Amino acid sequence: MKLSESGDARIRGYLYILGRSLKSFLPREMALDALREIESHVRERLEQTDAAESEETAVARVLAELGPPLQVARAYSAEIAVEAALATGGMGAVSRALWRLASTTVAGFFATLGLFVGYVLGLGLVATSVLKPIFPENVGLFIVDGIPRSFGAQFPVPPNAQVWGGYWVVPLSLAAGLGVLVLTHRWARAYLLWWRSRTST
Amino acid sequence: MVTGKAFESRPLETWREQLRRGALDLAILLSVSTARRRYGLDIIRHLEEFTDIVVGEGTIYPILARLTREGVLVSEWINHEGPHPRKYYRLTDKGRSDLSEMIEHWKSFAAKLGRLVAASGENVT
Repeated sequence: MKLSESGDARIRGYLYILGRSLKSFLPREMALDALREIESHVRERLEQTDAAESEETAVARVLAELGPPLQVARAYSAEIAVEAALATGGMGAVSRALWRLASTTVAGFFATLGLFVGYVLGLGLVATSVLKPIFPENVGLFIVDGIPRSFGAQFPVPPNAQVWGGYWVVPLSLAAGLGVLVLTHRWARAYLLWWRSRTST
Repeated sequence: MVTGKAFESRPLETWREQLRRGALDLAILLSVSTARRRYGLDIIRHLEEFTDIVVGEGTIYPILARLTREGVLVSEWINHEGPHPRKYYRLTDKGRSDLSEMIEHWKSFAAKLGRLVAASGENVT
């Protein structure tokens, strides 16, 4: 099928959006290579279109079968982010992969939110153990009217609150914080492995 | 409003989707292994001929890119074999070895599950 100017413009528009998105996270060479491959796919699909089908319908169908450009770009993005996270296991790579997935699906968003809470809780407990020796009067279990209200550090201590807890808070918080961090990180990697098994978006 | 039936069918849909996606790596490698080399659209056509595993064609290319980065596939652009330049993929030695293991694992897994299905067949239907 020889494309008219408007048909060609539609394909170029698709590739433009895809290219811009790919270049935002892929090295330029890789992005151009992926773009060239997708363009080759689209042009070849159109070459084999039934003569009875109008150009407009054929272009729309071929692009629809490929998927929206941002969805295709997200599939590349998620593959790369998850791959790096699983290969290195580092917290930075895992966080970046979770962020990518959170912006891809609703389930990914809630899973990432849950894991984010785990990381914050773990880091908070570790911070508590570090702050206790420096600010012993501001760190511990805060009791108001005989009821435990919160655990951690507060500056200044609320006027009606009592701080309970000696230096045993240090090893306890440290162990609990590291435990929560390790567990959260394991869950994050398990989630990414599960996601990877589903393969792309 | 979600009807009871629609609500119940959702986990089944999810399960089917996970199964399909989980098998996609193996399906792609099998497709590449059946020829000296294949390009993306050729792989898609081959998969479409034997399975209904490809839903969005655009999802195949990121997987091919990942399998290439993992050293399972190797790719090269060839300009003279079609109306447009094509990026061809073929298995590496590592790819052949990985595929062989994947096939063995798949056969064993399918046989075990098949026995389980057979054992429960009369009660389920």
